[in-house]
Amino acid sequence: MFSSVKVGIFLIVLVLVGTLIGSLYPQQSAFVRPPPDGYYAETYGMAGEVYAALGLHRTYESWWFLTSVVLLAVSILIASIDRGIPLYRILRDQKIVRSDAIMRKQPVFLRYEAAHLPWARTIEALQSARYRVRTEGDALLAEKHRWSRAGPYVNHIGLIVFLAIIFIRSMPALTSEQMISLIEGERAPIAGTSYWIKNERFVIEWHEPGSSGPPVGEEEAIPKKFETTTVLYTCEARCETDDPQLRTVVRQPIVVNAPLRHQGMDVYQYGYEVTPQIRSVRVIVRDKQSNQEYGPIVLVTQNPKQTYTAGPYTITLINYFPEFALDAQGLPTTRSANTPHAPAYVFGITGGSAPEKGWTYVYFPREIDKERFRQQALNDRIGSGAHIDIRARSMSDVDIAVYTSTLVVRTDPTLPYLLGAALISMVGLIMGFYAQHRRMWIARTDEGQWVLAAHSHKNVYGLQRDVARVRAVIETDPHVRIIEQKDGGS
Amino acid sequence: MQTLYDWSHGALIVAWGGYVVSFVLFVWAKMGKPTMRSARMERWAHVSVIGALVAHIVYFGLRWIASTFIPVSNFFEFIVFLSMMCAVAFLIVYRIAPSGWLGLCVTPVIVILMAYALAFPTEATPRIPSLHSVWLYIHVTTAAAGEAFFAIGFAAALMLLIHVIGTAPRPRKRDVWAIETVLVCVLIVVGFIASTFAFRLSGYEARFVSEQSTVVYAMPPIAAPYGYDVARMDAFLGMTQPLTTTPSWMKGVQAGRKWNTVLWSVSTGLILYGLLRLLARRPLVRALGPRLQGIDVAQIDDMSYRSIAIGFPIFTLGALIFAMIWAQIAWNRFWGWDPKEVWALITWLFYSAYLHVRLRKKYEGVSSAWLAVIGFVIVMFTLVGVNLVIAGLHSYAGV
Repeated sequence: MFSSVKVGIFLIVLVLVGTLIGSLYPQQSAFVRPPPDGYYAETYGMAGEVYAALGLHRTYESWWFLTSVVLLAVSILIASIDRGIPLYRILRDQKIVRSDAIMRKQPVFLRYEAAHLPWARTIEALQSARYRVRTEGDALLAEKHRWSRAGPYVNHIGLIVFLAIIFIRSMPALTSEQMISLIEGERAPIAGTSYWIKNERFVIEWHEPGSSGPPVGEEEAIPKKFETTTVLYTCEARCETDDPQLRTVVRQPIVVNAPLRHQGMDVYQYGYEVTPQIRSVRVIVRDKQSNQEYGPIVLVTQNPKQTYTAGPYTITLINYFPEFALDAQGLPTTRSANTPHAPAYVFGITGGSAPEKGWTYVYFPREIDKERFRQQALNDRIGSGAHIDIRARSMSDVDIAVYTSTLVVRTDPTLPYLLGAALISMVGLIMGFYAQHRRMWIARTDEGQWVLAAHSHKNVYGLQRDVARVRAVIETDPHVRIIEQKDGGS
Repeated sequence: MQTLYDWSHGALIVAWGGYVVSFVLFVWAKMGKPTMRSARMERWAHVSVIGALVAHIVYFGLRWIASTFIPVSNFFEFIVFLSMMCAVAFLIVYRIAPSGWLGLCVTPVIVILMAYALAFPTEATPRIPSLHSVWLYIHVTTAAAGEAFFAIGFAAALMLLIHVIGTAPRPRKRDVWAIETVLVCVLIVVGFIASTFAFRLSGYEARFVSEQSTVVYAMPPIAAPYGYDVARMDAFLGMTQPLTTTPSWMKGVQAGRKWNTVLWSVSTGLILYGLLRLLARRPLVRALGPRLQGIDVAQIDDMSYRSIAIGFPIFTLGALIFAMIWAQIAWNRFWGWDPKEVWALITWLFYSAYLHVRLRKKYEGVSSAWLAVIGFVIVMFTLVGVNLVIAGLHSYAGV
């Protein structure tokens, strides 16, 4: 049953209809984060509600859609075997002499009255038209491009292999994908591997009016290019800690359409977000009594160093809060583990004019935090405010990272095989559609009667041209007379 | 730079004129009585297509130089490229089987496609980073080449249907109704083109404002956008206020403008149809069919099929394989069930079904001609409708 073309067409249409249904509303998988329950009802009303209730928002993962694809694959497979092998046998074991009735059925059919045909010259004409000629007594069979008949089967093999790989590929262990958002200077481990990745620098270029290329609309700036200079590391020790020992593997800028490739792992530039954050601040340490300035020292907001030296002072980082806040008890805490939205440094300062046990000093790089959390009053209360001042000289000492770059890390070992399968299919299509299997039979049927028949798998016009060349040879002989003729026109 | 754009645009208009001329010559050659002159006319029509194609290529080259990248990045450029491919595809099929009938049905398709493209903004648009890829252009151009052959298949099939249904002694009502619907759809496209150009020439403008945004109409508002107030509106035939408002469920800033354009296109198309029908005093197909006398149905059927068979591998390569390669590079997944991808797949499945249907002798002729027509409707929906109706990653195409 699976081998019939009718069933095949039915299954193609079934898959087509399934595909179409799935495109009516956005599929759940199209969202980066799954939309909330009731999304379809809210956005698309009644129809959307029914759509989601029927599970059509997950059409392409649904059992019925996958089943129809599997059935189609099975049908392609069985039909190919059922038809391909007999066809191969028939074409391999072709008889050179065919019955008159079969000859008469061919689209081109001619009957001549002649004692002899110019046999050698006919064969020559056929061969020069690139036909392979076989003879048997007074009969010949000329054939060309027989391999074109294998086209559909080659194509089908490619399709089946492609679908098979797709199904194998759906095993989650085989492929992986993760999205990593990194602000400039930030690094993070790639889950499931020993690799770490760092966004060293992110630059964005805009289409500017007046530059070469097409004019830019007034209403919106369109990015021309965005690029993340990425460093890929392997972690060699202390991988679970904040201070891993990393070795640089590769440093490379990544842009859209040009991913970083490393041993089967691809890192793509996916997108960016505008997320202004302080990356580092260069500060000076001022002794308020002597009015002496020391430093500068550089404080970064990602994994800051533990100790600093500024003149006679040794500054130790006692605590660091990337996003400083006060909890319900009024105790300092941080809202996020590593996003420096409101960084705060708690320093222990020794040496210089500091007492034995040192001073404790709290420093907020952001002006707004200085006010909000009252840095001066705080430091006055803990006894350091009158002695020490830590500050940046000007805004140019504050390094701000504006963009967070989103990268996608992906491994997919099946890709070359999928491409291979697609190319097999393509080769099959070209064989089947751009070449035609053509055959010509010439035979003596009775005393003084000859028959010429020709058949083409598609493209009757091309066949007629070939026939005309042969006829030109045969019919120039004055003893040859046509007594029956069908030339393939309709 | 601007002069180069102007020159290329000029070449495009010349090309368009060339296709119009060849259409007229094909009509002259095939729809009159066959004489010695009509054969010569057909040769001239063929030459005229070649000349128009040369101008078309000049447009393409100049615009490529002016904008520094291959001009297939926005909707206008793409459709113009598609029509260029149609001319190429026509010349290829014409070489295989020279038939003036093919020219007669293909040239109007090219003319309409080009005029349709010109109804959209013709300025080159800056490209977002995912469009900076050689693969994109390989994908788009190859897919368009495949679709061009489907267009030839469509044109031939439509002509075959008009002839067969138009001259049948007792045509089935359903068939007449169906073919008239297709003709009405073609006239709606013509209506869209006509109304766009008419209002563009007259410089019509109406502005609507809401708290968030402003919407500008280039056509008199049959339907004002939902939730907007009239800021300024040119009068049109004494009409100073919008007639109706767009239904509230139509989302999106431009939904009102699009809906208004649809209303104008449909009404202009229907008026055109009504006028033609009054003139013919019978269904259009019954008026056109007999004018196509002398058509070789089997030959046209074969040409329609052959065009699709030639186009199918090209389409597979361009719209699926190259598309997947590009998607893998640009979006890091070769397939994402994006509406445009889905519809390319639907197109491919449909034409696969068509090619399998053709394996059975009894579906040759009228039934498979219908499939060839529907197939091209799917192609156009994939190119135009998806952007209009379903938004996805491809919405940069700017419809």
